[in-house]
Amino acid sequence: MTLVGTDVTMVGGLAKVTGAVNYAPDLVFPHMLYAKALRSPYPHAKLLRVDARKAERLSGVVAIITRDDLTGLNPYFGPVVDDQPVVATDRVRHVGEPVAVVAAESREIAEEALDLIEVDYEELPAVFDVLAAAKPDAPVLHTQRQETNAGVHREEFNFQLGGNVCSVFHVEDGDIEKGFRAADEIVENTYTLPPIQHGHIEPHAATAYWEPSGKLVIHSASQNPSGVQEQLAQIFRLPENQVRVIVPLLGGAYGGKTHARIEPAIALLARKARRPVQWVLTRDEVFLTGRRYGAVVKIKTGFKRDGTLVAREVVLFYDIGAYALNGPVNAKTGCYVASGPYNIPNRSLTTYSVYTNLPPTGPFRGVRVSHGCWAYESEMDDIARRVELDPLELRLKHLVKEGDIFVTGEKLVSVGIADCLRRTADAIGWRGKEEQARPPSGSNLVRGKGLAVTIKSTTTPTTSSASVRLNADGSAMLLTSSVDMGQGAQTSLAQIVGDELGLPFEKVSVSLPDTDVTPYDKSTSSSRTTFHMGQAAQKAAREIRSQLLDVGAKQLEARVEDLELRDGALCIRGTPDKRMTIAEIFKARFGSTVGSMFGGHCFHTQGGLNPKTGKGKAAVFWFFSACGAEVEVDIETGKVRVLRAITAVDVGKAIHPRMCGLQNQGSLLAGLGSALFEEMVYDNGQPINSNFLEYMLPSLEDHPREFHSLLIETPHPEGPWGAKGIGEAALPPVAPAIGNAIANALEGVRIRDLPIKPDKIVEALNFSKERS
Amino acid sequence: MGINISATINGRQKALTVRPNQTLLELLRDDLLLKGSVEGCGVGVCGSCTVLIDGRPVSSCLMLATNADGKEVTTIEGLVRHGELDPVQKAFLNHQAFQCGYCTPGMIMAVKGLLASNPRPTEEQARDYLSGNLCRCGTYQEVLAAVKELAEG
Amino acid sequence: MRYFELAEPSTLEEACGLLNDNGEAKVIAGGTALLTLIKHGIFIPKTLINLKKIKTAGDITYDGQKGLRIGALAAIYDVESSPLVRQYYPVLAEACHVVANIRIRNMATIGGNLAHGDYQSDPPTALLALDAGVELMSRSGEREVKVADFLRGSYETALQPGELVSALVVPPVASDLRGSYIKFTTGSSEERPCAGIAALASMENGVCRELRLVVGAVSPKPVRMRRGETMARGEKLTPELIERIAAEASRNVEPIDDLRGSAEYKRHLVKILVGRAVNACVRN
Repeated sequence: MTLVGTDVTMVGGLAKVTGAVNYAPDLVFPHMLYAKALRSPYPHAKLLRVDARKAERLSGVVAIITRDDLTGLNPYFGPVVDDQPVVATDRVRHVGEPVAVVAAESREIAEEALDLIEVDYEELPAVFDVLAAAKPDAPVLHTQRQETNAGVHREEFNFQLGGNVCSVFHVEDGDIEKGFRAADEIVENTYTLPPIQHGHIEPHAATAYWEPSGKLVIHSASQNPSGVQEQLAQIFRLPENQVRVIVPLLGGAYGGKTHARIEPAIALLARKARRPVQWVLTRDEVFLTGRRYGAVVKIKTGFKRDGTLVAREVVLFYDIGAYALNGPVNAKTGCYVASGPYNIPNRSLTTYSVYTNLPPTGPFRGVRVSHGCWAYESEMDDIARRVELDPLELRLKHLVKEGDIFVTGEKLVSVGIADCLRRTADAIGWRGKEEQARPPSGSNLVRGKGLAVTIKSTTTPTTSSASVRLNADGSAMLLTSSVDMGQGAQTSLAQIVGDELGLPFEKVSVSLPDTDVTPYDKSTSSSRTTFHMGQAAQKAAREIRSQLLDVGAKQLEARVEDLELRDGALCIRGTPDKRMTIAEIFKARFGSTVGSMFGGHCFHTQGGLNPKTGKGKAAVFWFFSACGAEVEVDIETGKVRVLRAITAVDVGKAIHPRMCGLQNQGSLLAGLGSALFEEMVYDNGQPINSNFLEYMLPSLEDHPREFHSLLIETPHPEGPWGAKGIGEAALPPVAPAIGNAIANALEGVRIRDLPIKPDKIVEALNFSKERS
Repeated sequence: MGINISATINGRQKALTVRPNQTLLELLRDDLLLKGSVEGCGVGVCGSCTVLIDGRPVSSCLMLATNADGKEVTTIEGLVRHGELDPVQKAFLNHQAFQCGYCTPGMIMAVKGLLASNPRPTEEQARDYLSGNLCRCGTYQEVLAAVKELAEG
Repeated sequence: MRYFELAEPSTLEEACGLLNDNGEAKVIAGGTALLTLIKHGIFIPKTLINLKKIKTAGDITYDGQKGLRIGALAAIYDVESSPLVRQYYPVLAEACHVVANIRIRNMATIGGNLAHGDYQSDPPTALLALDAGVELMSRSGEREVKVADFLRGSYETALQPGELVSALVVPPVASDLRGSYIKFTTGSSEERPCAGIAALASMENGVCRELRLVVGAVSPKPVRMRRGETMARGEKLTPELIERIAAEASRNVEPIDDLRGSAEYKRHLVKILVGRAVNACVRN
């Protein structure tokens, strides 16, 4: 291994610093039209009439799609439940839902046309609070639901019918009642998290056109070309080879672009317009198109006086918005981790994914875990304070270890969590019990340190396929549907292939996704690419490797085991002058120095959970991470500054350590924002702060003066070079680490509702002063 | 309906006709096909549309195209001179101060603006000046490292 | 953006003429506030009068008798970086420096800032503390209105139809009148202010000769704390007196609940920040 584990120069840097990348919104096609959507102003309403005829007559308008254009299609789609219409049909279920989409010669004309579309609504009662929505008497959003067969194990979700609860997931261990009876003390609290934005600076963008043969081509900023291809094929009743999805580099995504959102509508519009149509959302529209769901987490923990946790019951309510997207998946994967990376003999974990009349949700960086983590890591510190134990020791006492059986009944493999936590504690200068017993500082500025850990799964089972093509000149191409959205997939996958074939880094290229050419991949999400596509790419390259070694063995009269590939050539180990170049191998194999050598591999993981019991194999590998934060709180104004932050992730093997550090920095910043100020605010379903003037992303000034990223390597037996993943891993513990640091600074005063804004701190301090 | 202006775009003087309601960003991207400046928020906050007007950074998404009349407009595409990268671009490459790259041109133009007004900024000065350019991927530390290298060089 | 016509006068007088002739037209200077409103469909103009092509009306001059005169079209950054402003009215430079970000400050004009009447803005708070005045121009002539009277409420000013801001005038202040502007945000550093405090004092032998105190961003317009200023005049600024001044200030704001904090919190915040601002004047 010469490339894997080193900080090779990231692919594509030159284009990025010269503004030469062709992102989805940059693409230009001849005779291209521009799209704009008319969106519902109501959170819940019957759609009585949609009449676009006047708008169609506006000069420059070429086509408009409404519910009248859905004949001949399967008009509903979704990765798990077919509940999302291409455009609104009989009703609208959230403010901003597209009712019509216009294609015109200019964006200005498209916008003007919206004013001419006549729509009659009949408002319906709406529901926005997740607990209210889960009640049987709440207004119901979906009176009938279907299932999709889009590559998800739908039987694993426990779909509910009749109300707004979309799905329920439950898993348990031991005997929860007995557990609580055995406890010396029981604490019970409710934690809440608001909806937040992904914040990808590039909005959703797609351009679609239809070839005369009836083939759909769509260029989309999507994390999921295979999934979008599948959805479009299903909607338009086409075989998949008649749908081509091409994905450029993405300007950030963090989960927000994982499922088909604008693609179905733009495809339909392009078909009607008979010209390429481009749709680039404005920032306000992005707020209406995707978000991280809010949640209410009820957590009850029973423990002994010596701090031993004996029972934990967690119930989580996820507000998944108007359409399911992968809400039920999140409910499942958020369920079994809801009690934390801890051995607790008796537990009962239940998650509800609930429809609300708010914009759709879906995947989000760290989403399977962040909500539960906010609750269980805050509780951990409060319990430590109660039993007067060092919060670090209390955690170490219960942390899962290699070989432990998790609540799903599976054995945990490659468990570096204790290392993550210890090294984080070291790096933040953790002084044990003292951290929860700081003497008053005598000034209005108080400091505190906090720790938090997490466990997260990767979506299992899934499939990633790759093919590698070796050219006679010794350069190679990896064909993959993995998307590079800044995390550096084009770099890390090239490192893996390069090492497998002994090629220098510059000789390996990674394609952009194009479903005409690149084989199936589940998606670039769940931080799964290094492990899954890395495996597929490595094994695909290995097929070529075998071919090369076989030829070499014959030609050099050596045994395969004695040969090695390095620096673009094959040689006998220890005898470098006995070598063959790739071109010479081609000549020997094919009789000429032209042609291609192929390798391909379809990598499947096995697993899944029994929906009735919640038991089985949830993840082919697990993410473990820790965060340490030091804060300074101004107790008079409530203002919090994060002075220092440490994140530690068990990556298995760092393919590119510097890029891993960059992922952690992004996770830290997003976590910091969610902890201290990010929240989407609604007034009866109307978004109040759906722009960057009012919804702030963390700035350079907000970034802690000191941040360190630590990488722990506990190799995974199935990962390429032992690698697991990192993209999201560091995010979930950030908010609780900051929350714990604040609580420790404030001598135990705890805020349970994110974000922790200054007014909440002042209120909590006043309240605690009044109480004492 | 069109307004005739004359502006210097990346060193080249151009006679242009712009619409009254056209922003500079739209002029650059739609008419001049300079796609390096991008729209992230449309309200002057994220900084991804940053270009220099007479050497000073502005949000091109909030500037009327007509106001480029008589001005020197510098976009990311104008930094490469005779095939050579600008020192800021080189520093960004050295420190890998980007991930997805969407905010990068704006960030680079902001750094150009910073160094034009303050060739040797302290870290605090750099933070203060650049804090108006947002990066969601999380590359602030590397940007500061690039600026430090440029300030010391 | 929706279409609008754009008139491009070359002098302020010409602009006034156009404004007078077309009752529906609005002036646009830096455009940072106005274009945001237009993009969100909050304001759909038919005609805008573009002031940015006017080459004059952006100068900053100082005269010992009359004080500072800032042309309305001076960019906020030009005000912030002007050696005259920095020397004679550093609090104004401070307040300008914390406005939004460097790009906005390069584009937005000080006249536009005043005319917009945004209550969550920083320069008006400092200008009020400096007793500044706004010069208004119209077809019928010119008039000067004190900032205190010009800012009427949230996005509400004393501008009459056909009028535009032509300059800001800041009277001379005692050379030992010193202080600062504090912008307080409750979220990101880049957020609009939750509160902005301008506090200036001239001290002699520990006794306060003059205190100027303004609280901005909390009420629909910045508020000059006259009562607090009176309490301070001629007195030694003890911690106890400062606390009373701060409490008085807190009683004289009209906060509302919004994304930046509850009304109750803001009232509390004003008390804390005013106390700190006045204390800082004493220490310096």
